[in-house]
Amino acid sequence: MILKKIKQRAFSNILDSITTLIIISFIIISLTTILKWIFFSANWSVVKINLPLFFFGSFPKDQLWRPGLWMSLIAILSFATLLAPRWKWVPKFLPILWISFAPLGIFLLGGGLGLSPVESRNWGGLTLTILLTSFSAILSLPLGIVLALGRQSELPVIRKASSLYIDTMRSVPLIAVLFFGQLLIPLFLPIGLEINRVYRAIIAFTLFVSAYLAEDIRGGLQSVPKTQREAGEVLGLHPLQITCLIILPQALRVALPSLTNQAVGLLQNTSLMAILGLVELLGIGRSILANPEFIGRYIEVYVWLAALYWVVCTLMALIARHLEKQMALEKRG
Amino acid sequence: MLPIVKATNLTKSYAKGIRALDNISISVDPGEVLVVMGPSGSGKSTLIRTFNGLETFDSGQLNVLGIPLGSNHNEERKIRRIRKRVGMVFQQFNLFPHLSILENITLAPIKVQKKKRDEAEHEALVLLTQMGIESHAQKYPSQLSGGEQQRVAIARALALKPELLLFDEPTSALDPERVNEVLDAMRRLAEQGMSMVVVTHEVNFAKEVGDKVLFMDSGKVIETSTPDIFFLDAKHQRSRKFLNQIKKK
Ligand SMILES: Nc1ncnc2c1ncn2[C@@H]1O[C@H](COP(=O)(O)OP(=O)(O)O)[C@@H](O)[C@H]1O
Ligand SMILES: [Mg+2]
Repeated sequence: MILKKIKQRAFSNILDSITTLIIISFIIISLTTILKWIFFSANWSVVKINLPLFFFGSFPKDQLWRPGLWMSLIAILSFATLLAPRWKWVPKFLPILWISFAPLGIFLLGGGLGLSPVESRNWGGLTLTILLTSFSAILSLPLGIVLALGRQSELPVIRKASSLYIDTMRSVPLIAVLFFGQLLIPLFLPIGLEINRVYRAIIAFTLFVSAYLAEDIRGGLQSVPKTQREAGEVLGLHPLQITCLIILPQALRVALPSLTNQAVGLLQNTSLMAILGLVELLGIGRSILANPEFIGRYIEVYVWLAALYWVVCTLMALIARHLEKQMALEKRG
Repeated sequence: MLPIVKATNLTKSYAKGIRALDNISISVDPGEVLVVMGPSGSGKSTLIRTFNGLETFDSGQLNVLGIPLGSNHNEERKIRRIRKRVGMVFQQFNLFPHLSILENITLAPIKVQKKKRDEAEHEALVLLTQMGIESHAQKYPSQLSGGEQQRVAIARALALKPELLLFDEPTSALDPERVNEVLDAMRRLAEQGMSMVVVTHEVNFAKEVGDKVLFMDSGKVIETSTPDIFFLDAKHQRSRKFLNQIKKK
């Protein structure tokens, strides 16, 4: 049965058979080469020795449980989200947990309230990558919503200002915004008040990403028919209630796939901070390679980094697709 | 008794020159069912949409439930006060697709009237039972047929306990075999004494349920008669022509 299908699909004529054979032999050759390299040629000691660095940066050794706890919570939360439909009581709490986990990260990493303070230059690795991503994402979503609504406002001042902001941000390269974030934000702050480089990066990412989110959300808003607003008005709802309870939920559903793309893009773009001196995942890789002890091990390090990025991005995509499915189910039943 | 709706010399034009409403005067008494008929584009929708402030008008007077509305445009609060007491049902149902049937109905009672959720849900279930669709309470609008969706829309409008219901061609978007389930629900409302303004081309409904028929053309009231007179012996040539046309269909 299966053999017959394979024969039909892959070997139905001579040309198909040749193509199939070529592709199969290509896959086999590259797989064996790669596996051979992974298991025999590569020297993974550089990864093994530096595992804590890759995950947590140079966080003080005796405090490693803090980023460790945070990362574990995220992992648990991710799986809980994926399994949520089987545990009926979970979904109610998930949104609150997701929103609170970024601030929790800042608290666990930075300290305070009984935890000893740890300076931001000791934050690093995958922890810092996820902190940058999650905090920027959580801040830029509301800003993006406000900008998208602003762009549709009936007040010309608000409409023009939103459009100007969105269009400007979208015509500037991200790296420039990040540079300006590091250099200019301190100038705008009153003397004596200093915010660390991580926060400056988060602000820069937020300002940049929100412009893109705003455009995705605007697309979602436009997909909601005008009659929905009318239906709300007729019920005596306040315009703000109509926007929040009727228009936005529908718009965000439509925009969800593009919002996910932006989130995955954001995670990858946090690696730009390596150039600006943060030791997030890519930065820590570079600094490990700069250590004479590990010189020349760059293929191992970059393969390892690629694998880590791949796992995290795939997890994000899985969760997003899961949410989309859930919403489609809600609509159809 | 004070009329529920009293319009005097209402006039409105969208583009210059074309009058969507041309000097319209009518009144609706409590418990009365006014049927509005007229060819497409004659201004029927525009007229009933002025009654709950979805459309403004250029001149004339309008009084809904004792609340006077002027032709100026800054009356949001007054309009919201009216909307809390006037329900409306649209041709395309306009249910909220992201909310369940129950949530569609309880939204306004909870958010506008600040009712408790339990109480609002209980009342919603009573309304759904009246409409014969209580088994769909937990479903979403896209899972229902057009006729069922329109009955949900009626229940949603009823949830605020309105004193007047406006219907804009409530059965025009339905499959023919689904029309009667909606008309029956409306008939029962009329029997319970609900005041209604209904734009419809359903002649039988107008004959049986209507107290008055308002016939419009090009934004003008051509005639206002009782259904008996309108359908058997319309006063105006244009009304008769229109009736012949809808009979042919
Ligand atoms: N939003 C609008 N903008 C411009 N013209 C409109 C608008 N709505 C309706 N009209 C015009 O007003 C007239 C009356 O329309 P309407 O009240 O919808 O008629 P009906 O409901 O009887 O079909 C028509 O000529 C229509 O083209
Ligand atoms: Mg109409």
